[in-house]
Amino acid sequence: MSILKEFKDAYKGVVREPSPELLTKTTGLMQDGMRARAMGDFIPPEALGDARWTDELILSTWYMAETGEIPDGLNYKTGKSDGGFDRLDFKFLPESDWLEHSEAIGTKLDLNRRGDAKKKLTCDIPWYGGGMSYGSVSVNVMMSRARNAARWNSFMSTGEGGYPPQLMECKENVITQVATGYFGVEEDSIQAAPIVEFKYAQGAKPGLGGHLLAAKAGEEVAKLRGSVPFVSLFSPFPFHSTYSVEDHSKHLDWIETVNPTALLSVKVSTPHDVDMVAVGSFYAGAHIIHLDGSYGGTGAAPEIAKKNIAMPIELAIPKVHKFLQDEGVRDRVTLIASGGVRTADDIAKAIALGADGCVLGTTDLVGLGCTRCSNCEGGPSGRGCPWGLTTTDVELQEWVQPDWAAERLNNLYSAMQYRLRDILRQLGLSDVSELRGRTDLLRYMGRDEAARAAGRAAAIGLEEIQ
Amino acid sequence: MLESTTGGATAAASSALTLDKFGAESARIGRELADQYHRYHIETEEVDDVDPLPHRFLVEVGKIGLAKFILSEVFHYGMKPDVLLSRPCTYGVFSGPVGGFSPLPKLCVGCLRCTVQHPDFVKVLPNPKRLELGDSYTTHGHIAAIDEESKRGMVPVRGQGYRGRFGGPGFDGMLTDMSEIVRPSRDGIHGRELIGTSVDIGTKPMHLSFDEEGNLQGKTPNMFTIQVPFIFDVPPGDLGTAKLAKVLDSTSQRIDTLACLKAADIVKWQMDAPNIVPIIPTQAPEMAELFPKARLVQLDGWDKDAFDTLRESTDALIGVRIEFSEGWQERLMKAVNNRVDLVHLNADLHGRGYDDNRFISDLLKEAHLLLIEKGCRDMVTLVGAGGIVSADHLPKAIISGLDAVALDLPVLFALQGRSHGSLTERDAVKGTLPRKMTQEWAEQRLTNLCASWRDQLLEILGAMGIREVRRLRGEFGRSMIVSHLEDEAFEGIEGYVSGGVA
Repeated sequence: MSILKEFKDAYKGVVREPSPELLTKTTGLMQDGMRARAMGDFIPPEALGDARWTDELILSTWYMAETGEIPDGLNYKTGKSDGGFDRLDFKFLPESDWLEHSEAIGTKLDLNRRGDAKKKLTCDIPWYGGGMSYGSVSVNVMMSRARNAARWNSFMSTGEGGYPPQLMECKENVITQVATGYFGVEEDSIQAAPIVEFKYAQGAKPGLGGHLLAAKAGEEVAKLRGSVPFVSLFSPFPFHSTYSVEDHSKHLDWIETVNPTALLSVKVSTPHDVDMVAVGSFYAGAHIIHLDGSYGGTGAAPEIAKKNIAMPIELAIPKVHKFLQDEGVRDRVTLIASGGVRTADDIAKAIALGADGCVLGTTDLVGLGCTRCSNCEGGPSGRGCPWGLTTTDVELQEWVQPDWAAERLNNLYSAMQYRLRDILRQLGLSDVSELRGRTDLLRYMGRDEAARAAGRAAAIGLEEIQ
Repeated sequence: MLESTTGGATAAASSALTLDKFGAESARIGRELADQYHRYHIETEEVDDVDPLPHRFLVEVGKIGLAKFILSEVFHYGMKPDVLLSRPCTYGVFSGPVGGFSPLPKLCVGCLRCTVQHPDFVKVLPNPKRLELGDSYTTHGHIAAIDEESKRGMVPVRGQGYRGRFGGPGFDGMLTDMSEIVRPSRDGIHGRELIGTSVDIGTKPMHLSFDEEGNLQGKTPNMFTIQVPFIFDVPPGDLGTAKLAKVLDSTSQRIDTLACLKAADIVKWQMDAPNIVPIIPTQAPEMAELFPKARLVQLDGWDKDAFDTLRESTDALIGVRIEFSEGWQERLMKAVNNRVDLVHLNADLHGRGYDDNRFISDLLKEAHLLLIEKGCRDMVTLVGAGGIVSADHLPKAIISGLDAVALDLPVLFALQGRSHGSLTERDAVKGTLPRKMTQEWAEQRLTNLCASWRDQLLEILGAMGIREVRRLRGEFGRSMIVSHLEDEAFEGIEGYVSGGVA
């Protein structure tokens, strides 16, 4: 190509795979910039943050992803949403009664409590990675999450977009998701999975099915989903083969036939009768009941659905926990919470409210540079995330290199595990399982105290940071 | 439907039904019905801005810093066009002829990549002019959403999760329920296109009476149907111009709903029409005679004498506007007992009652339950207004007991108007509409808003598994109140006080 044409194309913004020089330059600038912002070399960007994820929460997550340590001087615990996790705090013991900080403080999560013949899977940490489909994010992002999951003896879910072949490298740590559109559901990927997850609904858009807008349904994505390139894809709601718990049971039987050793997870959102749904799922054979609250992340969802349909996870966990207890089956099922779980503190609070563990999605993305600008669905450019996270654009996706990204996630998880142990030892607990359902170890903060705890963002009104 | 075969015996004998005839007749009737079939749909079309909102962000670039950066780039990468011309924005903020030396902030979506990559010379700031829009209730966020909905007529879809506060006051403290996998009451929705949004206006008889021969006794119920559960309210404050009235008129005709206007204005602007609802002063009920085409008229308050005069003056349905001020329950019951066809309940524009400051959702519930208790809920259509400024407020107001809502401030912001000062009292609203506003442009903007809100209502109804909006009315069980859920979840946690307001 002539230099003149190269200039013309570059000026017009013709999109192609980045040259090695462009890759070096751009990733270098982005990574240096994130580091400088996280380390406090510059004041936080004025337009960063919202009530759920304040500027400090985002920057502290970057700091942890950069260093593997807890930051000084940045709030890494709570946002400023004035409710739920942001109003809860722990009733720590007097310092004299604290346990020593030690790796002996247990953080493992058992996933099979049914006592059946299936795999006895355990995570080293009480959280794993939530579903983000190929198409909603790039293969690079999926690979970095999968590699990190392997490091932590944890898991990440494919989401509903099929199973890119690269993921086979980490198949012992990859959950295959089956959702209402059955996109990319193959016998091979079900047989490869240690856990198969049925997604009945998603917290950010409960009752509405899934969306992948045309701009992001490129050729590779379409191939894996068995669809036509650049045509918007909508997963219906609900499973049109499921109108009763018996139908649901048949679904699980079907998976069991294809993969007799896989654990079965059922992901549901949080309607008023979520407790009944949970019990029904247990009796249908689920090992894991995964509740996804209404403040959860999404690659694309109608704005009206976020928040307005179904309930926040903080309100659903105790409801389900108590109902399972009353039914006498609480110890035979693993209750997982997601949808607005951002930090180690949130995870500990969710467990104290009654969950066994959590699923993270947005936290991983923030660790990789997400600023929560909400243009994941494509944005005005139609190319998706400018940070290279929620995109399959041939240029942008290269900004996230799997090795770099996996390292950041590893650092982030290290810092979060450290903080979780810190919470446990200050409560006098030697294992995270002792925290489950211990609402007596929580306290509800007054509005002013919660606002002060939120840090710098406390100076800004809620309306201004929405 | 096949026609009746109860004709004369001779005719029946001469045309004995054969399978062929039956098939042909079925096909003919089927074709006729298919020809008549019309599915309600609102045509949308993207329209340009005439007075765009202040953009969300300001972008500041230090010129010296940028120049230094470009020089170092040239030094490091030489003549590599893709590297030299690459910019940290995929939205075009730096795409002008001189790039970052003259940024285009109107294109900025706040991804902040530029300011993270170049913290030493690029700043992205929230635009204070944008934050100043609206007031404490109708925020810049509501206005921006209405603006986008009116521009495109689509359901706003974005990535990432919810960004705002946990629960909150008013409608923010109400969540809608959805139907998960095993709820037996599902209607069996298989597509949002099959959900009905039409609403009946008028009185339904509580029962039908027939004489000994099976003939219906009494008057046939006088009702009509509108296709969406919202109407346009009288423009508040100083917005009631002829120009805006004509926009409300044409849009309400187009989408098959109603527009309320002051009676004197309708006369002045010669706008009597079936879709126009004259608001008639209680002092001059005889004015109703001036509106022979109206299907519904409204008295601007409850007054028995005025109502009786109005009944004599018009064949139209009669509505009464009742403010949520002291004694509203009594006025409501008097109006209903006197057989008004519709009651239009008004809170202030922040959705608060005029005396007790209660929020409109609580007031509507009380009104709805009062009518149920008295056994007359279906004898009257309830329309309400006040504090409804977002698409989610529509289903929440209907759940609270309304048949339909009346839109006031959203009209101003759909047309890219600007408000000046407080947006609390209806009469005190001051606003301006764009000077470049044309009838065609404004009608399309308002139509787009209606389409977007209707489609968002369909999303909510679809999630619930409800197939017509009429079934949503007063369905409190389809809502969840955050403070109640908090009581259930956090009861016993030290420091928690019911309502979470400590």
